[in-house]
Amino acid sequence: MEQFKKKNLIYQILPLVSVSALILSWIAFSLATGGIIFPGPASVVRRILKTFETPIAGMTIIGHTLISLKRVLTGLFISCVSGISIGILVGSNRYLKATLGSFLEIFRPIPPIAWIPIMIMWFGIGELPKILLIVLGSFFPVMLNTASGISLVNKINLDVGQIFGGSKISILKEIVLPTALPSIFSGIRTSVSCGWTVVLAAEMMGAQQGLGLLVMKGWGINDMALVLGAVIIIAFIGAMFSYLLKRAERLLMPWNR
Amino acid sequence: MEQIKTKKVKVRNLSKIFFQKSSSFEVVKDVSFDVYDGEFLVLLGPGRCGKTVLLNMLIGTETRTSGEIHINGAESGKPSPAMSMVFQKKALLPFKTVMENVELGLKFQKIEKEPRRKICQKYIDLVGLHGFENSYPHELSGGMQQRAGIARAYAVSPDILIMDEPFGALDAQTRYQMEEELLQIWEKERKTIIFVTNNIEEAVYLADRIILLSSCPAHVKAVFPIELPKPRDLFDPEFLRIREQIETQTDLSL
Amino acid sequence: MDEKVKVEHLTKKYGDLLVLDDISFSIKKGEFLCIVGPTGCGKTTFLNLLTKIIEPTSGNIYIDGIPADPKVHNISSVFQEPSAFPWLTAEENIEYGLRIKKYDNKYIKEQSSKILALLGLEDYKNVYPRDMSVSMEQRVVIGRAFAMNPDLLLMDEPYGQMDIKMRYYLEDEVIRLWKVTGSTVLFVTHNLEEAVYLAERVLVLTNKPATIKTEIDVGLERPRKVSSPDFVEIRKQLTDMIKWW
Repeated sequence: MEQFKKKNLIYQILPLVSVSALILSWIAFSLATGGIIFPGPASVVRRILKTFETPIAGMTIIGHTLISLKRVLTGLFISCVSGISIGILVGSNRYLKATLGSFLEIFRPIPPIAWIPIMIMWFGIGELPKILLIVLGSFFPVMLNTASGISLVNKINLDVGQIFGGSKISILKEIVLPTALPSIFSGIRTSVSCGWTVVLAAEMMGAQQGLGLLVMKGWGINDMALVLGAVIIIAFIGAMFSYLLKRAERLLMPWNR
Repeated sequence: MEQIKTKKVKVRNLSKIFFQKSSSFEVVKDVSFDVYDGEFLVLLGPGRCGKTVLLNMLIGTETRTSGEIHINGAESGKPSPAMSMVFQKKALLPFKTVMENVELGLKFQKIEKEPRRKICQKYIDLVGLHGFENSYPHELSGGMQQRAGIARAYAVSPDILIMDEPFGALDAQTRYQMEEELLQIWEKERKTIIFVTNNIEEAVYLADRIILLSSCPAHVKAVFPIELPKPRDLFDPEFLRIREQIETQTDLSL
Repeated sequence: MDEKVKVEHLTKKYGDLLVLDDISFSIKKGEFLCIVGPTGCGKTTFLNLLTKIIEPTSGNIYIDGIPADPKVHNISSVFQEPSAFPWLTAEENIEYGLRIKKYDNKYIKEQSSKILALLGLEDYKNVYPRDMSVSMEQRVVIGRAFAMNPDLLLMDEPYGQMDIKMRYYLEDEVIRLWKVTGSTVLFVTHNLEEAVYLAERVLVLTNKPATIKTEIDVGLERPRKVSSPDFVEIRKQLTDMIKWW
């Protein structure tokens, strides 16, 4: 038992060790290259905090972060709601799969970034094209995963529903959806990371505010500390999304061990 | 004067053929039998042929190729609240607790939460799962899962309970225990039971009547009324004699 | 000493969890021994120890007087799920173990014909597992296990879910195979009737932590009759003994 506890402790310490190693090598590297092309952690932190004294485009770092978050959450909300609904339709109805499903299949392989020029042409550089882009980038994973999750339902569970007198809607609600929930979640996870990537790509072209803008701006004026700072915040928020989704999963699916 | 028993279920010339691309596969062939009100009827047949399809036709999840099924005097082909089922394999919904599984049928019937929970609690207690209402199926043993399945089937107060080899996946000792318990539950709340098994000993232990089916395609080979008083003794010479008699008539399907 | 297998004080612990507790017994050469135990008592752990997939916490297993060693000793197993190699025919499956041990071809062919004849499967020798029924596949697997002339043949509930008629047939078949090959067989089951039908001796295991509760000699002549009073008597004895499972 002692051995068992020791082993477990190692697995908890190792991640901390590797992160510390990363930060240390960062510091070392930036010192070695003179600190300008690759600022060390201290200068990055200082640069970020400076936005409170001297806002960029009228906002502090918090303001920019919130703008990016607002965009991605709006886009994700639209794509998840539509993705799950269409996924349910396509997954449970063969006719719809053959019509609507095939139609959508034409658009799936198009990389979201390829849409950028078209979006700008049609909708300009306001908020709408950015949100649309996020939707385009995050719709398919959640829709496809929902559809496949629906089709994964065991026949015997459907029989149970039928035998105990369930209407089609009841069976969908009580049996099919919960079975599909793990797949739906997996789709949402992919969608979230896709959406987050796309918002930054979108912001790098014609945004007035946002983390993507900070990256572009910093790059433009050789302010690498700003670039690195924005990138790190982007990564951190991505990780936060993952973590929150995992917690939500555990809460909503207590039967999944 | 013999008591005239009502026929709860009448099956006449029931057949099922599965058609594939270039061939057909006859699974059930011209099966006819009656089920009397309140009896414990066992359909006994060798492994792997036709019994489940036969049951599915009775309960309405499988279409018939030909023949008739009458339930309570009326023609039947679809699932109805008069019948419910206990399955062999894992048929509890894994994402629902025991209580949520047991109340499924009543929920579909749009019964309010309070009254339906009361009903379900009664059956959960009846099958000996008191205290496990909020457990998930994966937390229960095989025997306990089957008990939950029985509670679920009882909760909708069906006239006819169909059981498809419910104890097949359990080890011998648990199986004996479940057979005993099933008879006790049946004594407390009488239902017409149609019980399918491939185990002769189980059939002789439980049945008022045994309908012996042949191997694929399934048709009726013989009918054995079992008049021993219940609960029966597995080691009783008469029990063993009846077992042997049935064994000689059973098909071997290699 | 015609002791083929000797198990001494076999104990297995996983952390604080004691699964097997000081199990000792021996098996004579050519004996058919049955072990019965409740589900989850550690039978699988026990079998894994015998086949040396895992090591015991303490205790020893000897075969032919020396510590059991997969490189030296030949232990074959049959499980509940048939495990015939899908890429080999029935005949090739049966010959498999002998080919691995590099016996000469003439002997291999002799052995496989003998086993196929005992199984009554000569007409099916070129059939692949995917075209066989579950019971036929299992019989091929059993034939394969016997053909290897193992030091010890382990059978873990091989007839688990089969119907009674099939069981009787297969049980008679395994007795035939056993008699002709003279193998030492350890048969695990939770079905007492099966144990009494097959075994010369029955060991009864307790619940976790598993120990040997008792041992019964089944001195009945073969073929045995399930309804004979002697059979019933022994079965009753065993049933009473395991009432506390």
